[in-house]
Amino acid sequence: MSDRATIGFAGCGGCGTPHAPGDRFCEQCGASLESTSAPADRDACSSCGAAPGARDEDGYCTICGLRGRARGDRDELDLSAAAAVSDQGLVHRRNEDAFHLEVVAERHGAAVVCDGISSATAGDLAAQGAARAAGRALALAAGDPSSDAIVATLGAIRAAGDAVELVPWSPEVDRAMPSCTLVSALWRDGELVIGWIGDSRAYWLTEDGCRQLTTDDSWAAEQVAAGTITADEAARDSRFHAITHWVGADAPARPPQVVTLRPEHPGRLMLCSDGLWNYAPRAADLAALVDALPAAAGPAAVARSLTETALARGGRDNITVAVIDIEPEDPARRRHQ
Amino acid sequence: MSNFTADTYQNEFLPTGGTEVNAVVTVTSSGGGSTRPGAEIVILDTSLSMGVPSAKLSAAILATATAIDCIRDGVMFAVISGSTDARIVYPRDGGMAVGSDATRSAARLAVSRLGVDGGTAMGTWLRRAGELFASAPPGARHAILLTDGRNQHETSEQLDEALASVEGCFQCDCRGVGTDWEVGELRRIAQTLLGTVDIVADPRGLADDFRRLTERAMGRATGNVSLRLWTPRGATVTLVRQVAPTIEELTHRGRPVDELSVDYPTGSWGDESRDYHLAIRVSARGLGDEMLAGRVTLIEDGELRGQALVKAIWTEDEQRSTQINREVAHYTGQAELAEAIQDGLEARKAGDCETATIKLGRAVALATASGNASTMKLLAGVVEIDDPVTGTVRLRAGVAEADEMALDTRSTKTVRLGSG
Repeated sequence: MSDRATIGFAGCGGCGTPHAPGDRFCEQCGASLESTSAPADRDACSSCGAAPGARDEDGYCTICGLRGRARGDRDELDLSAAAAVSDQGLVHRRNEDAFHLEVVAERHGAAVVCDGISSATAGDLAAQGAARAAGRALALAAGDPSSDAIVATLGAIRAAGDAVELVPWSPEVDRAMPSCTLVSALWRDGELVIGWIGDSRAYWLTEDGCRQLTTDDSWAAEQVAAGTITADEAARDSRFHAITHWVGADAPARPPQVVTLRPEHPGRLMLCSDGLWNYAPRAADLAALVDALPAAAGPAAVARSLTETALARGGRDNITVAVIDIEPEDPARRRHQ
Repeated sequence: MSNFTADTYQNEFLPTGGTEVNAVVTVTSSGGGSTRPGAEIVILDTSLSMGVPSAKLSAAILATATAIDCIRDGVMFAVISGSTDARIVYPRDGGMAVGSDATRSAARLAVSRLGVDGGTAMGTWLRRAGELFASAPPGARHAILLTDGRNQHETSEQLDEALASVEGCFQCDCRGVGTDWEVGELRRIAQTLLGTVDIVADPRGLADDFRRLTERAMGRATGNVSLRLWTPRGATVTLVRQVAPTIEELTHRGRPVDELSVDYPTGSWGDESRDYHLAIRVSARGLGDEMLAGRVTLIEDGELRGQALVKAIWTEDEQRSTQINREVAHYTGQAELAEAIQDGLEARKAGDCETATIKLGRAVALATASGNASTMKLLAGVVEIDDPVTGTVRLRAGVAEADEMALDTRSTKTVRLGSG
């Protein structure tokens, strides 16, 4: 579903120690590396607890009839300092979210989360194409200090638009052209550039709390910003989820929004689709969820936990979360400059 | 060996908290080229009334001879003459004869000499047939029972006991000649023994009818076939009903196989297709959960012969969960049609004209909507139809008893979607 790349170093899910491709166990803590990102045993019936053998060839439990959710319903990528989870959720028949995550060197990387528009044709292909195109462009920029991060971000989102236009599709009644939302992050030694179109969001989490870095391209956000209605009124309106900008051939002709951050202290960047933030709409809600986790929880643990929370609260949409640990600019390097 | 295929027609989507799963499963049997010989018995009513008028007995003898002619070589067969007791007309030396030119002509001769005497005791006839079939090798076992009167010389309980003792041993198509027999009685026998019931008002029509029945029986290549329904723990099967080509209630005829599976009898099959309406109540699950609410398998002599799945998926999308599947809706209507006819005729018999008019009017509307032309024709013999769409009708004054009985016996005949 989502495009995944593991350039750079990947670390043990237990202690974060980097390991070489092909290693089966972590040299530091001995944890099985193959199991670090594997979900719990999905073969045993999650409903009635029947043994794994009690599942027929069609995937139904032979005791309670419940179908096990097949492998592949969730994509996980754990790069230690950054991790992403994309889950189909409990209601949708397929995952129309996609992510791209690359750590090209310590403190350098790129992440993209896209959410296929559900009223559009081939929303899943649009999201996958956009995430891949923008992600690759940003990863190149992450490894090239001579490039301008904002220019790279705008270029990457244009590349995403080009990719969506290439998605093969045929017109359907009441279905829009392939389109998706996009939120991207490019981090290069303390410099963090976020770009977005639509209502997928970026948050910045520190010890002091949680801040939403993006403002949704949505009817609700625009009304609230204009002061016509309050946030609570917007949340009750049927147009709450209507977005006003998207990536696609029929998108409004205006540029994406971009914001730059130069944090002075370590923090966590989180990108997510509305499948998560629907269940934690305010930044404070997310902060409370993350604060409840053990202090040692790494990006992968945070991403998984937030995904599980969204599932537990209904999982009505696809859920995608990327969590990246961001360090301030390397002090040693700063002294050199 | 026949091949069975089974297809499910259903809307698997349930709303939040929904528990009722409905499906129509079409089972088709084909390639039944088996040469396994079956067994056939003709049970002929030879009580006194069959001789009045004498043409009735002559027609029955001719029809039986026609049936005998249709017996294929190698098929076991026998003829029973039924009155207050049951006498084996052919073969005389006990057991059953093996179909051949010689046995067929000997049987025809024996039947031609039949006379009438005594009363009517169908339970005794059926028991005798059961004993004979038990002596034949396994295979499709089929009987035709012809009568012209009521089961006067047995109590209803005696008939029930006899039916219970032969249920599952053989299938039996029942035919009533004239109008002095009782539809309910023969329907009880036919339903228990997985056969059909029909009226042959004019004795001259008997021979053709017997030929059809015997040929169909000879074409049945399978042994006893069961429809096995697996449902998950905690589920309740609320309906198992054959809905095409005729309506046959099977809900209460299941025999548990294990904790979760029940076998429903379907008898033996030729190259044919039958539809079953299933309703299963399951426990509601979470949104997005998918459950196997039922697994239908066809079991022939203990072997699995094809299966279909009945599913349940919970969704918040009301557009999906509120749709009623076309087949399910159609057959729900056909079952209501049969019920309306039977209720209407019963009310008419009881002198309750108001109920009869409402019920038969409803039947007319349902038959019109579903394009059930043959039932419509039969209804027109019993009621004057002012508006077939709304079902505005008036009871006819002088209704021929045969017309009423024909409507009653054939009320369970259904049409398939789009065939009207």
